[in-house]
Amino acid sequence: MKSAYSASPPLTAGKVRSKSKLYFWGLVFLLPEIVIFCVFLWKPIVMGIYYSLHDINFVKGNTFVGLQNYIEMIRDDSFFTAIRNTLWFIFLGLAIGYWVPAVAAIAISELRRFKSTARLIVYLPNIVPAVALYGVWKWLFEPIGPLNNFLSVFGLDPVMWLTDKSMSMFSIVLMNTWHHFGATALIYLAAVMSIPKDLYEAAEIDGAGVFQRIRYITLPSIRMIFVLMLIMQLISNSQSYEPQLAMTGADRMRRQRRICCSSSTMPSNRSRSARRRPWASCCSWR
Amino acid sequence: MDKESLRERGILSHFDFRRKTVWAGYSVMIVLLAALSATMIYPFLVTIFNAFKTREDIYTFPPTLWPKEWVWSNLGEGFQFIDLSRYMLNTFAIYAGSTLVAVVCIGLAAFSLSHLHIPFRKGFTLFFMCTLMIPSATYMIPNYLNLQELGLLNTYWAFWLPSAANAFWILLLKSFFDGIHKELFEAARMDGASELRCFLQMALPLSYPILATILIFGFTAAWNEWFWAGLVISSPDKYPIATAVYKYVLSGESNNIQVNVKFAILTLVMVPPLLMFAFLQKYIIRGVNLSSVKG
Repeated sequence: MKSAYSASPPLTAGKVRSKSKLYFWGLVFLLPEIVIFCVFLWKPIVMGIYYSLHDINFVKGNTFVGLQNYIEMIRDDSFFTAIRNTLWFIFLGLAIGYWVPAVAAIAISELRRFKSTARLIVYLPNIVPAVALYGVWKWLFEPIGPLNNFLSVFGLDPVMWLTDKSMSMFSIVLMNTWHHFGATALIYLAAVMSIPKDLYEAAEIDGAGVFQRIRYITLPSIRMIFVLMLIMQLISNSQSYEPQLAMTGADRMRRQRRICCSSSTMPSNRSRSARRRPWASCCSWR
Repeated sequence: MDKESLRERGILSHFDFRRKTVWAGYSVMIVLLAALSATMIYPFLVTIFNAFKTREDIYTFPPTLWPKEWVWSNLGEGFQFIDLSRYMLNTFAIYAGSTLVAVVCIGLAAFSLSHLHIPFRKGFTLFFMCTLMIPSATYMIPNYLNLQELGLLNTYWAFWLPSAANAFWILLLKSFFDGIHKELFEAARMDGASELRCFLQMALPLSYPILATILIFGFTAAWNEWFWAGLVISSPDKYPIATAVYKYVLSGESNNIQVNVKFAILTLVMVPPLLMFAFLQKYIIRGVNLSSVKG
């Protein structure tokens, strides 16, 4: 402001001063966050890439080895096992879990009563702490537990949910779906409820049946949410790791090792701390 | 127009219900939803009722939901088996510190990005938001080594400081601040308020809905975090509750726990989030929707 009144020669200096004054508070407010991001987020990210190109040795110091760690990783058989298992896990997650929230949301939106109750009930599993979740589902999956009891009502044979090699991943997907689908369903529900009702009215007058209305109005209107949720699920499933560890234990874990376990050992393949902690990967915040 | 047609409609109108097939389909849907709700609630009931059963009662086959006799001592034994109250206090210490750091640092940065004059605004935004694209699993080990280098291992600072390194919350707060009119702050500055005062006394109170959301989700995160905490904290008396329960109750490091006491502990761990949900469900559901719209 002041610089506008000053004569032309000192104007540049005044401009600089006023500019630094103008930016002062903005930058001061940004500073703590920038420092924290640099130290706790960007530094680990950059160091991960740095470590991946080096042979880490805590005694002798690090030496640059180029892409050797990556080559070693690709030569390792368990790497491809891990990729295959991860893809299978992602596929199971999509096949079992992806469509459930959308269908539930459309169904709930059609309820005439108890709509908010249904919304609360569906969201309820989300608030179960992870450790309690694992404890409870280990019990549900017990050979003589409630799930097998439920199957036996229909005359089906008991299933070894967690110890059977082909079943364990399915069981974990089932548990994950139970735990998380409520939040997704609420997102779908908000989108479904915000569709203007006139559209249905018009479609009905034009003679569209119930399924045609869903097919041509509801689903296209929430298309974006479908895409968004697909991406979110792909990201979280491809990184999921904690439930596998907690539900099947470390020894089983090795057999159904998944990409993130080996990818996390990758950056510091030879570091001793990494060897001791091959499972050191998890989503810190969701 | 009759009253019926004025009623709010969804995908189905009341004309549809005159058709028998629609009626049948709708009833099937209701039954399925009821079954879904039952499966949602059933594990809760199992946990809670198992916490009050005798050991033999739990293992009877076929399993029954309702306890034959109520055993109240399980809860007390749960408290004795591991020092639950201590671990709960630890969790609260972690939660309080990390929320404070997060709200102050993230709030200031979001306020600055949204309402103050800064150079390279796009550049700074990119600097923060890029990290959303990088999966946290990829830098887990460097992160651990980094904390080790800084000497933060086995201290709560390892949770408090990095809690502010959260691009998602910056995004949430910034988009909320964007919705506050600039004129409000102009007027305050005209009256001589400093920027800090604008932030503390205007921006923060005005954004309480989003702050409530952040507080709630922060609590859930702190209460749930067992794995990372188990790595970072090495002395057992500093464990947060989730880690302690995982190590001592679930993972089988101690096999001598009775199954009914185990369920009592699981119930006790579930109670605080359930209480929070009961009282704050409005904010939670709003938060879920917010995070989808902005995220």
